[in-house]
Amino acid sequence: MLRLDVPERPHWKALAEELGFHFHTLEGEPYWVESAYYQFTLRQVEEEIEAPTEAIHEMCMELVDRVCDSEALLARLAIPEFMWETLVASWRGGQPSLYGRLDFSYDGRGPAKLLELNYDTPTSLYEAAFFQWVWLEQAMQLGLIPRQADQYNAIQERLLMAFAHLRERLPGGTLHFASVQDSVEDRATVRYLQDIALQAGFEVPFLHVEEIGLNRGDAFVGLDDEPIEAIFKLYPWEEMVHEDFGAHLPDKRTRWFEPPWKMILSNKGILPLLWEHFEGHPNLLPAFFEEAPGRALGPGWVRKPFFSREGSNIELVTAAGERHWVDGPYTDSPRILQALAPLPRFGARHTLVGSWVVGDRACGMGLREDVGAITKDSSCFLPHLIL
Amino acid sequence: MSEVQQPPMARPRRKRSQRLVLAAMGVASVTLSACGQAPNPQDERERVVGVDFEGEQAYRSVDECVAADVYTRSTCEDAYRLALEAAPRFTSLEACEARFGEGSCEAPPQPAATGQQGGGWFMPAMMGYMVGNMMSNTSRGRTLQQVYQEPVYRDRGNRGDWDAAVVGASSRTLSRQARMEQNISNQERAYRNRMTTSSPRATQRSGFGSRSAARGGWGS
Repeated sequence: MLRLDVPERPHWKALAEELGFHFHTLEGEPYWVESAYYQFTLRQVEEEIEAPTEAIHEMCMELVDRVCDSEALLARLAIPEFMWETLVASWRGGQPSLYGRLDFSYDGRGPAKLLELNYDTPTSLYEAAFFQWVWLEQAMQLGLIPRQADQYNAIQERLLMAFAHLRERLPGGTLHFASVQDSVEDRATVRYLQDIALQAGFEVPFLHVEEIGLNRGDAFVGLDDEPIEAIFKLYPWEEMVHEDFGAHLPDKRTRWFEPPWKMILSNKGILPLLWEHFEGHPNLLPAFFEEAPGRALGPGWVRKPFFSREGSNIELVTAAGERHWVDGPYTDSPRILQALAPLPRFGARHTLVGSWVVGDRACGMGLREDVGAITKDSSCFLPHLIL
Repeated sequence: MSEVQQPPMARPRRKRSQRLVLAAMGVASVTLSACGQAPNPQDERERVVGVDFEGEQAYRSVDECVAADVYTRSTCEDAYRLALEAAPRFTSLEACEARFGEGSCEAPPQPAATGQQGGGWFMPAMMGYMVGNMMSNTSRGRTLQQVYQEPVYRDRGNRGDWDAAVVGASSRTLSRQARMEQNISNQERAYRNRMTTSSPRATQRSGFGSRSAARGGWGS
């Protein structure tokens, strides 16, 4: 695994704009960076990223099953009781999910360590699945990188298959899409997913999360007051269940993507459960519920709230006792402790590997860089290749 | 799909997709009715979600268009007539030349004059026209919505040079496409406003998303 400098493609910003990637620069700071790329060997990708991703995904599915069997575990994950039946029914009924992203600390040597799962509202999807792919093809044509380069990236192809599969199962052929008002990045990610769903034969109306309607009918309704049969929301379950319409979720037939059972995996409480059930697995880090007795963590550790995004409210203490902290709004949930697997450094930057799962298959990755030890929403995205 | 296309032995472990396509991104992927009017909520199934222009080619004459064998003679003729009508017009030679340069203007050729109120007006000298496909991405797939055209004419910048005039025509079609995108998103906004305000009282909204303002986007 190497970080190599490379010339940028001329006019890539214009191309990004044209392709709907308006957040290539965020608040004046670069987000998409192509002045360097990461180089992996095929063995690293297949044995150290792809295979562990599929293995962990399988463990997760097994755990979801266990949690669905146990009211004690549902309670331990702080999932509100009124949702239990709906959640379990969504799992037992085989409601399909679309995607997820596993974040690893990996330096090219030795086992990648799972830092966390993003199984409900993972982003950096468009840049990983599409723009990164375009970069590779163009950079090869321009002679910026070797012609025989490859990339671990069948994400969009897998998404198209997943949507096509869904299209067979959802009567009506309409899949609504929703993201919150005022988030350019979320809107772009959802627009990208709409595009793929459109290719799979869906009608793909968009509305904002705030515009989802409630009336006396047995489904949530769209802007036209017609029932929403199925909807993809880029909005977390743990927020929805506590909001005004949350209490109505069990009474409505509207199908959600991701499905309610993803509440189990979008919760960092899943990390101590993974450790509890698969202790010693080379890709897992020791992790414990904060209030659990008898936890045995070494000198370097991380404290994370159950519900937190983009690095918010994460506290990190290195083996040497150095403390890092990202402030944020997630102060209202239980927390977990996890052994520290410091992100590898390439120069001044800390690098994180995001490994994608679509329709139960590992299918690609994206790399983020941050100057800090905790990866945040301001981290840059860099392309990768296999050589 | 891609597995089939690549030779099985040559590169058995290729890790990336062979080909990716975006159906509508890059143009506004939002609601537009096929006839360019505000969409009717009852017509949900007829929706066009995006448009784009493609395959444009420039021809010096109707005969050249026909010879290229892309369009039928009647399409080539219609496109020529419409392109001619789309060219800027002036009531005096001076006004036209002030805009397009000395020696750039002429009285319109015959076909455009028919149906007009006699002659007595001027336009930049027609050198040819450009024809292409306006595609719509509808909820049922991608279809040809209509043929579009653009006059290729002489102006101050191209001084009658064909290639430069074609570039000018090309950039005019690009700005047309941009205006269409703008219209599409305006319509989408109006549509949404109308839907929200005309909803029966029985429907409540803003029951989800209330915690978004505090926390910004939701990516993780």
